[in-house]
Amino acid sequence: MPTVILLDLSLSMTRPVVSGDNDFQRKHLAIQGVSTLLDYLAAHNRLEFTALVAFSSLWELVVPFTRDYKELKEGLNRMDDYDKTCIETGLAGVSQIVMDEWGVGLPCQVVLVTDGSPGVGKGSLKESLERFYSSQHHHDDLSTDGDEFPLPFPFPSKLHLVCLANPPEVQGVLGQLQRLVDMNGGAGGVYLPEGELSMATCQSLFSKLAETQFPSVSWTLKCGHMSSEVQAVPVVETFKKTYDFGPLVREPSLQMEILGFLDSKDIASPAVISRHLVLPKPTKTEKEASEGESGASGEGDGDTAEHDGKAPSFCVLLHGSLKVESMVALVQLGESWYGFLYSWADSKKKSNLMLSVLEPGEDAVSWLGKISQLGPVASSPHNPYGEDDTTSPYPVRHADKRSYAQNTTVWIKPSGLQTDVQKILRNARKLPDKQQTFYKELNRLRKAALSFGFLDLLEGMSAMLERECTLLPGTAHPDAALQLTHAAKELRLAINKDYDDNIAPLQTHFSKSDND
Amino acid sequence: MAAEGNAPKIFPSSHKTVVILDHSPFMAEACGQTVDFDILPKQSRAAPGIIPLAPLAKSLWTCTVEAASEYARVVYDVYPPRSRDKLLKFVITDTEARSLNSWLEEEQSLSNVLQGLAVVGPPSDSDDAENCSVMHGLAMAVESLCEGSEKQLEHKASLSDPEEPVVNKGRVVCITTVKSQGHIQMLEECMQEAIVQHNKIAEAADKLPITHCELVLIHTVPVGADNNIQDQPNKEVSSLLSCEVHSVHSGRHIAAKLALLVQKHFHLTSTTITGIPMKEEQNASTSANYDVEILHSKDAHIEILKMGSTSQGYDSSGFACSKDSFGRETVILKWCTPKTNIVELQYCTGAYRITPADVNSRPSSCLTNFLLNGRAVMLEQPRKSGSKVISHMLASHGGEIFLHCLGTGRSPLEDPPSISEGSGGRVTDYRITDYGDFMKENRLMPYPAPQDGQILPEKEAIAVLERTTRYWPLVISDTIIFNMASHTDPLPTLITKAALTEDEVVECQKAIYHLVGMESRSEPLPIPAMGTRGKGPKRDEQYRQMWAELDTLLRAHASTSINHQKVLECLQEIRRPAEEAKESSRKAGKKEEVVVKEERVMTEQSTAELAWQEIQRYKAMSERERSDFERGNTNNDHFRHRQQTEVSSPPIKKLKTSLEDSQGKQQGGPPSLLAIWTSRINSKYNSRHCEFAGRLTAEGNKAELYVNLQKDGTNGTSDKPSGVKQEKRGP
Repeated sequence: MPTVILLDLSLSMTRPVVSGDNDFQRKHLAIQGVSTLLDYLAAHNRLEFTALVAFSSLWELVVPFTRDYKELKEGLNRMDDYDKTCIETGLAGVSQIVMDEWGVGLPCQVVLVTDGSPGVGKGSLKESLERFYSSQHHHDDLSTDGDEFPLPFPFPSKLHLVCLANPPEVQGVLGQLQRLVDMNGGAGGVYLPEGELSMATCQSLFSKLAETQFPSVSWTLKCGHMSSEVQAVPVVETFKKTYDFGPLVREPSLQMEILGFLDSKDIASPAVISRHLVLPKPTKTEKEASEGESGASGEGDGDTAEHDGKAPSFCVLLHGSLKVESMVALVQLGESWYGFLYSWADSKKKSNLMLSVLEPGEDAVSWLGKISQLGPVASSPHNPYGEDDTTSPYPVRHADKRSYAQNTTVWIKPSGLQTDVQKILRNARKLPDKQQTFYKELNRLRKAALSFGFLDLLEGMSAMLERECTLLPGTAHPDAALQLTHAAKELRLAINKDYDDNIAPLQTHFSKSDND
Repeated sequence: MAAEGNAPKIFPSSHKTVVILDHSPFMAEACGQTVDFDILPKQSRAAPGIIPLAPLAKSLWTCTVEAASEYARVVYDVYPPRSRDKLLKFVITDTEARSLNSWLEEEQSLSNVLQGLAVVGPPSDSDDAENCSVMHGLAMAVESLCEGSEKQLEHKASLSDPEEPVVNKGRVVCITTVKSQGHIQMLEECMQEAIVQHNKIAEAADKLPITHCELVLIHTVPVGADNNIQDQPNKEVSSLLSCEVHSVHSGRHIAAKLALLVQKHFHLTSTTITGIPMKEEQNASTSANYDVEILHSKDAHIEILKMGSTSQGYDSSGFACSKDSFGRETVILKWCTPKTNIVELQYCTGAYRITPADVNSRPSSCLTNFLLNGRAVMLEQPRKSGSKVISHMLASHGGEIFLHCLGTGRSPLEDPPSISEGSGGRVTDYRITDYGDFMKENRLMPYPAPQDGQILPEKEAIAVLERTTRYWPLVISDTIIFNMASHTDPLPTLITKAALTEDEVVECQKAIYHLVGMESRSEPLPIPAMGTRGKGPKRDEQYRQMWAELDTLLRAHASTSINHQKVLECLQEIRRPAEEAKESSRKAGKKEEVVVKEERVMTEQSTAELAWQEIQRYKAMSERERSDFERGNTNNDHFRHRQQTEVSSPPIKKLKTSLEDSQGKQQGGPPSLLAIWTSRINSKYNSRHCEFAGRLTAEGNKAELYVNLQKDGTNGTSDKPSGVKQEKRGP
């Protein structure tokens, strides 16, 4: 999850921490704190992108999204002092930077570091909030003018507001800051140093923020007795979504249990909520191996060697085989929550194990059927993949067909009706060869006419068939005339007959001989 | 916030929609538009005297039914009835109200509705116009909304507090002809009253009171007729009811209106795919470009909608919505000539079902057939400038077409370290192929829903993986038995099964005997060259490792069933002759002892009896016999000791005499071919091999070496082990 650090560089940040002490400004605390955060990220979330933005009454992208923490730290040292605080501007800047870089689909963390002075006049926090509320009340859904408030961000996000102030100084502002978090959906929070503002409390504040909000989570990748400790990058977030019948919240279980495997072509690019690199963690735990001995598994799992890179890892084996076979491993991530692992290559050379997380639920991939009803091929009397691996049980076809997959009749446009009529006539001229199609199309038209209450059409079609009969060339099969007359008569009678009472071909001695 | 306004809400009104069709005699009037159905083709061979049949006039009823069916078609295509999310109920009203279907899943289909309409038939002029009223329909609609849908009832059952009310919202789309503004007022009041009354009844009966109902009144008159009813935007009549009025001409106009409303009611939007090349029917060598409009959930364009309003990066006119004459907006996406097959996994952030806006037009059916035949096509956002952005993909899965949204933004996963740089990445001899085969064997297939008491297929899959991975070395250099599949087959496959038949047990035993045979022939084992430095272990050592590994494998599976246990016993019979059963008490490894005890409990008595017989026979032997017997088993004895004490000197050649013994005894019948063969081999070896005299006479098969030297007592004891080794390399 990319992170934007939004640093307040208004003049108030240059206030000394302890009154009278001029060489120690709040800005220094902020820089030191952010630096602590960056150190943590460099150590634990090396692959995440971070950007550094400075704001006052304007905003500036100091360091664009990068994994280069050195560059970010250098950026911190280039900070100048500017004018007044205008949080709304800063947030708007963040919004634009993230949208330009990542679009609206990717969750981001925003860490706003300020001294808690809300600014004055236009652009001050108070004024922004007032403007926001009044706009909400006045026109509910027409607020597409340029001055739209930047919150909530158009992308999923957590907003952390770090307020470097002595708690008593900012009592009035805290509520407003919290309101910003709430406006953004409530993820994140407002952070204050514990105790009096100082380098130490500030450092511990940032350390705490880093540990709680940027955790390095370890997963167990498991396939029966084979397992690997892995890290998912970025972190798999708790799933929250509101459905028609209520909200759903799912916590990742931190265990990716492989249920089985599928061919890549069978899973066929389903919708996923997020993607994560799955990186094997260096195995340093001998505990695991000793535990493994009590089971019957022997040395299959838990490798004890401490030199990293040399000890075999299940994760690497899995990746290799998935890549070679073009397959995916279906994994369970939590209660009715699934994902799949596959080999993914950013460039041609470097490939990686990737986890795609599906939306929680049994029906996450419609063409696989209910996921909990996927079972091992071994338990089936016949192998749906066939002897030579050319068949597949997927996609799962559902009994109900969509309108475009069956011959749906729509006559809203005259062309729809004309096409259907012409089709019948075309087949009529090729009787008795096209007898089956002729009656099929005729019955389709009959049914539609009955449903739509368009009975005149039956009359008209009947007349048309009679005319066709008179136009038959001398060379025509004698059965053609018989069938056309029969169909024309039946069509008229159909008006008073049942919907399912299909017009059947006339049994003539010609058709009988055809059947023999 | 503007975008949020259209986002789906909890308990949406769209869950249940009642469509009321006015079936009064007035609707039998002509709609005012005619349709030419008898088109004579230009190159017609028809006689010139033919005059086309007169155009047909559709009735108001026909136009209404067509428009309403199209509304239903779109809903059922985009929200398939099996998801039970969006339900439609059709009500016909004249002198009374009739409903054509219920909220039940099996009655939710277009064909069901069409059949019902056919039964109802068109209204007739002769009907009693005085007693016809749309109010019957409104009352039935309210009653229907009070009935819980399957999902609502499930939701109610899931509530912890049974008294907690279920939010029950719905929408009523009523197509009729009103007489005046006052008539509308009256219908609103009637509706309001009906809701209040039914809510009272609903509370008493086991029904769901209506939380809120949205009445959409569509007033329709023949094309060209005077229309003095104005459109009325949505207004709240009460906290229970809101009402809006749409006034339209019949014919094509009412269809267009309902097409617009279905989008609004079901959170849909339109996309037009431009530049679809299609071969001309007449002239197959040329192709023209066509456009096809599709409808789908608005969520498929969430990116475009959000980005469009806030970012400069997108050219707002590029994807802009073109508006047609009916005020429908559509997003334009360009067709990209498809690759032959798109196998690779796309990063797809959403997949939404689509339906063509004009399902049976030629371009639409060409596109849908193309997709239903398993092809996929990429769609590109038209931009005035800049790079090509492929933002969507159309593909069908199981007979349904989906619009896939592809990730277009920069990926935060770019330039990751290769997996080969991480932990375990430098190992080069992973059993990639073997695991590939393993994956193929463990592919998943759909099963029907489990009956009561049946295990969920997913759990079964986990159980199979548990069984098949009990012993699964990751790298080639860690295993011998899996590198010699041609020799061990079918044992490694069979042993992982949940149950073994007697025949399969025999198969496994045969495989073990085959290995025994290999060892006795001293055939080389396929030890991989890598991972072993220098010359690698001696052949005997290789066999020792192989047996140990096989033991591990069989032990891991012994607990599965008695037959699995039998296979392990077979191995143990060979590796540890019956003589040792007697001495089991002094066995070193605790774990082994436990296993042996378990075996005793688990296996049939025959084994124990067999062992007992052995002991008895042994006791009854004469001194000479006994020493011969022991000599025969010497090697195994040695082997066992070595294994326990981790001394790795090779076993002595004559290993297999014991096999002959145990095998003969075990089976009790005539000797098998293998037994005969091994005995021949053994006698051959015996003829070449002369047992060390010292051992023949020594106690416990251990010859004391250099006895004289020790008697001298000065040379220290350190020589002794080396002496032993020298002896063993002996003949």
